[in-house]
Amino acid sequence: MAAMFGGIVGQEPENTRYDAQISVFGSKLQNKLEQAKIFMVGSGALGCEFLKNLALMGISCSQNGKLTVTDDDVIEKSNLSRQFLFRDWNIGQPKSTVAATAAMAINPKLHVEALQNRASPETENVFNDAFWENLDAVVNALDNVTARMYIDSRCVYFQKPLLESGTLGAKCNAQMVIPHLTENYGASRDPPEKQAPMCTVHSFPHNIDHCLTWARSEFEGLLEKTPTEVNGFLSNPSVYVAAARTAGDAQARDQLERVIECLHGDKCETFQDCITWARLKFEDYFSNRVKQLTYTFPEDSMTSSGAPFWSAPKRFPRPLEFSSTDPSQLNFILAASILRAETFGIPIPDWAKTRNKVAAEAVDKVIVPEFQPKQGVKIVTDEKATSISSASVDDAGVIEELITKLEQISKTLPPGFHMNPIQFEKDDDTNFHMDVIAGFANMRARNYSIPEVDKLKAKFIAGRIIPAIATATAMATGLVCLELYKVLAGGHKVEDYRNTFANLAIPLFSIAEPVPPKTIKHKDLSWTVWDRWTVTGNITLRELLEWLKEKGLNAYSISCGTSLLYNSMFPRHKERLDRKVADVAREVAKMEVPSYRRHLDVVVACEDDDDNDVDIPLVSVYFR
Amino acid sequence: RIRLRIRVFRAMGGDRGTEEELTAQETALYDRQIRVWGVDAQKRLSKAHVLVCGVNGTTIEFCKNIVLAGVGSLSLMDDHIVTEDDLSANFLIPHDVCMHGVSSRAEACCESLKDFNPMVRVAVAIGDPSLIDEGFVDRFDIIVVSCASLKTKLFINDNCRKRSKHIAFYSVECKDSCGEIFVDLQNHSYLQKKPGGEPEQQELTYASLQEAISVPWKNLPKKTTKLYYAMRVLESYELSEGREPGETTLSDLPAVLAQRKDMCDRMSLSESQIPTALLERLLAAGKKEHPPVCAILGGILGQEVIKSISCKGDPIKNFFYYDAADGKGIMEDIPPTPVEQFA
Repeated sequence: MAAMFGGIVGQEPENTRYDAQISVFGSKLQNKLEQAKIFMVGSGALGCEFLKNLALMGISCSQNGKLTVTDDDVIEKSNLSRQFLFRDWNIGQPKSTVAATAAMAINPKLHVEALQNRASPETENVFNDAFWENLDAVVNALDNVTARMYIDSRCVYFQKPLLESGTLGAKCNAQMVIPHLTENYGASRDPPEKQAPMCTVHSFPHNIDHCLTWARSEFEGLLEKTPTEVNGFLSNPSVYVAAARTAGDAQARDQLERVIECLHGDKCETFQDCITWARLKFEDYFSNRVKQLTYTFPEDSMTSSGAPFWSAPKRFPRPLEFSSTDPSQLNFILAASILRAETFGIPIPDWAKTRNKVAAEAVDKVIVPEFQPKQGVKIVTDEKATSISSASVDDAGVIEELITKLEQISKTLPPGFHMNPIQFEKDDDTNFHMDVIAGFANMRARNYSIPEVDKLKAKFIAGRIIPAIATATAMATGLVCLELYKVLAGGHKVEDYRNTFANLAIPLFSIAEPVPPKTIKHKDLSWTVWDRWTVTGNITLRELLEWLKEKGLNAYSISCGTSLLYNSMFPRHKERLDRKVADVAREVAKMEVPSYRRHLDVVVACEDDDDNDVDIPLVSVYFR
Repeated sequence: RIRLRIRVFRAMGGDRGTEEELTAQETALYDRQIRVWGVDAQKRLSKAHVLVCGVNGTTIEFCKNIVLAGVGSLSLMDDHIVTEDDLSANFLIPHDVCMHGVSSRAEACCESLKDFNPMVRVAVAIGDPSLIDEGFVDRFDIIVVSCASLKTKLFINDNCRKRSKHIAFYSVECKDSCGEIFVDLQNHSYLQKKPGGEPEQQELTYASLQEAISVPWKNLPKKTTKLYYAMRVLESYELSEGREPGETTLSDLPAVLAQRKDMCDRMSLSESQIPTALLERLLAAGKKEHPPVCAILGGILGQEVIKSISCKGDPIKNFFYYDAADGKGIMEDIPPTPVEQFA
């Protein structure tokens, strides 16, 4: 192992706060650290720990250095048990700016810019080519795989080192992704979390997770998506209606039906209307639908292969009888009414927030129509189905009718009418969100004789909460920062880096050298995900195809960014073959090619002479 | 006679019983960690009193972690005046230290630690660690000592063991980019999670610090980490020269090598087991710590203390070593627990 640590340069101390580092690495490396340009993605638990470390180490602590930190989240109470750069009075403020300010108090020389953009394809105008090209390293401080995969893809594209880490309870890990030396983050993934099939969630739950998934989905549908749809229609009716016509499918039909329901059938004007809505929803979800399901599939029904339909893991449901004397039922109705009232901007009476006689009487006032199950109702049972909306032959016709009805209804609305969509906020114990979700889930669990859960557990599952502690977080960032010294020093071999996995509960501490990237071979060529093939000259598509043919590769599709430049199966693309690649990109694909851009990167799909697909590197065409 | 002046804060509202629920404030704040170690462990944490002797980069990381975790109280003992050297690894020392008048390390860090969690009582404990007697240790459940002479550590550890109350003792040292954590939980019983089965009651018996550092080297397993030996050589050297902990430089190397030879001869260990380069590195470091290593050691120590207070999770028995040179984190059990003979 190279003596990054474990040796002494024996340099004289310079009476700075960095003397410990200078005596080990020398002042030349210390300067390099101070001038480093780092992009830190995320400013939560890991972010706070990183900022503290970087400030102490002097990384990006000079005018020439720069740390760019971005996070689109704001501070909430439960963050404070780990995110120590934040205080109670910062709740509601953006994480990145508060953290950056606090870090500068540790070391005023820290040159940091705090942004609030989510790092995603949508912000590539902010984090543009110039930004990426200028970086020395990228540090992940994220809490989800999607963002990690995106940043990984950008680092591969721009060939930048990525220092990745994460924690889960008492476990933590640090992983180094170094261009050309190691595999990238996306090269090895944990198997995707098994998601329950749609029909299980919608009709055949057998554990509380299914009920909670369903509950959250209904919450979002009723209280967020539909009001948002309504506002979408009201703000621009002709555009909305045209879009529905163009789509012309079952999903568009469903959406229109729900908008109409909200504005007409179920429209609420008083709080009592909201109670009515909630009580009828209860009846619908936990009684009528169950009655319909068990009518369509009676307890003794058989599948087409002659086996009992309701065999395990399916659980046979029973409808619930509402009673306002049941506290959990009454609670649910009241919480749901309150949120419904919020979406309509209806004031909420004080008695609604306490479970008392007045509340019970209000609920009992609701007239609940009798329900008769119907013949011929279609219920999806196919586990592979990804949509619950069942398409019908005449969706387009039905949509026209619905549009007419919607337009009529909109004329009857008071001027300035709009709805207030509710975004699920799991951590506010006073907002009734978790009451509604837990209520939905537990009532459903009751239907299916599944054990119910308390609000804490419900929040954990429905809120997809990650348990977290400060110790594991601190340790993960310490491990990464040690590797960061090596990255910024440069010149280290793959054996010098360390990936670490630790579990503080056991305790377990395990290290490994990062894995080199997979090498792909073709004839006498070999490459990894980090490589680029370069072609110079303002070449045509045909010349590009011929250049690849010389390597024994038959290219059949060429794309640039999200635009297709050429595909061998489209006859009209043949006309493009003698046009310059750069011109096709600009004119056909409408790509912006600024004057400072000297090359274009194209993705080429190829086959070898045996018709096997070959995954080739990105091809950079230097046309200027 | 030197009177030991100690400021001790009375518990506000008295200690809670285990039947008392966590407040809404605690539940909201501690939500994410309660999901890791449970409500019961959180309640125990809130009743625990911790003393830290010696404020440096590593112990401040530890303090941050346990204050965030929500211990009952934290007392800091370190009356060294803050200097610019402290800025290299202690993130709580204000950067304009020289402009802020004269304060001790403990005083300089106290207010910021309180800010991390207003529900934890953080206070300065004025006094000299070498005078921490039986009466004093009794106020605490956990004592962490760093940057103290071997004599002081032994004295404190011994006093912890004399009390009938269970007081857990830890020492931690970070030199350059490596470090050592020593754990003495005396007798520790806890529920050990068994994969796919019922949790099992475990009883662990720890060696005292004296026992742990007095094991003849020839009795230790061949693979025992070099750091253990190197730390013992430096300890002995500082003791025999009457040095302050970490008050060494490269110029001490010849004398330290002589110390090494002496100890290796006496205890039948080959000198190659304690590389000269390693001793050089530790001597040159003195008290200097690398911030990332402080975070690693502080994290581990923090979790160890939480495990001991909550009686949940397997504690380290009884040494932990980290070295950034090879990236390894190693546990040693010294003296080795005798292997049970099966009939």
